[in-house]
Amino acid sequence: MARAVFGRVSATEEVGRSRVGRLDRDRTLVEAARRDPSAFEPLYRRYLAQVYSYAYYELGDHHDAEDATERTFLLALTNLARFEERARPTDGDGASTFRVWLFRIARNVVANQRRGRRRHPTTPLDAAGMVRDPLDVEGGAVGRAEGAAAWRAVGRLPADRRRALVLRFVDEMSTSEIAGVLGRSEGAVRVLIHRALRSVARDLGADDRAGRAR
Amino acid sequence: MSSIVLAGPRAAALRTDRYLDALLAAADRRAVDVPAPTDLDPAIRFAARRLVADLARVHPSFRFEERLAVQLGGLPTGGVAGGSPEAARPLRPIGGPVPAAGMPARAALARPILIGGAVTSAALSIAGAAFVAWRHSRPSRSVG
Repeated sequence: MARAVFGRVSATEEVGRSRVGRLDRDRTLVEAARRDPSAFEPLYRRYLAQVYSYAYYELGDHHDAEDATERTFLLALTNLARFEERARPTDGDGASTFRVWLFRIARNVVANQRRGRRRHPTTPLDAAGMVRDPLDVEGGAVGRAEGAAAWRAVGRLPADRRRALVLRFVDEMSTSEIAGVLGRSEGAVRVLIHRALRSVARDLGADDRAGRAR
Repeated sequence: MSSIVLAGPRAAALRTDRYLDALLAAADRRAVDVPAPTDLDPAIRFAARRLVADLARVHPSFRFEERLAVQLGGLPTGGVAGGSPEAARPLRPIGGPVPAAGMPARAALARPILIGGAVTSAALSIAGAAFVAWRHSRPSRSVG
């Protein structure tokens, strides 16, 4: 069950709703965008790279990531009136329920896009392929063996662990935000990330040993 | 909270979570690492440090960014202003830089990013240098 940021707001919590203004850092921008769509720009600029990064790590292709990013922001803007803040004091002053809402849209868009492509993105091979091209020395990108190894290790993870790590390390979300995006409890997300890091450590250890052997 | 409550996998996950909070905050300050609790699994620390350094945020091409900005500006929305003349007003083609969420403007460049598939790190590529120059030439704007 998703917790905090997307949990239902109880009557008791409604009493404390006046505190939301200083809790959700995007509130002012969201309200401005509701009044005037051209005021959506700061939100767009703020989250463009984050949404695009998420899509790119999930889809492994810049064109597909652009398509997903475009759909995500178009849906966000057209549905902005439906967005409801759910920040609570326990979320901390830096929390953004708008970002969680936006990433939930992105997650659905990416999932639909994957289904449309008839790919199998959750398999380790596809995930490994996802990170291979951008770091392909032959392709002109900068080849950093250690970086490539880390990316491969993340790409080999099961989809839910990979998503959690990308949201944590690339998009720098808090555990509570990731819980909101993935629809899990904070505790479950912590365990997910903890186990994912252990897997990555094992994988990187194996890669490092193999590299030394070569 | 008693030590009994903190025992087990959930406690280890909580320690990892706290370490990651500190590590990511330190990365924004361009610090390499932070002191880790003695009971943190060294493998976790190793993997976390590697991922902080190596998992880059990816930025789309500026052409795409501006095209989508224009597209969003022309979109009739279901919001309060939907259908009004305001709805057809395009977003500014290029706005001032908006720091990535949770980052101050300068610190947004502290970690490597990818632009259009090419790895940049502010000092390693022409694209990175151009991006840095462009960002620094734009006036800062405080939002949120």
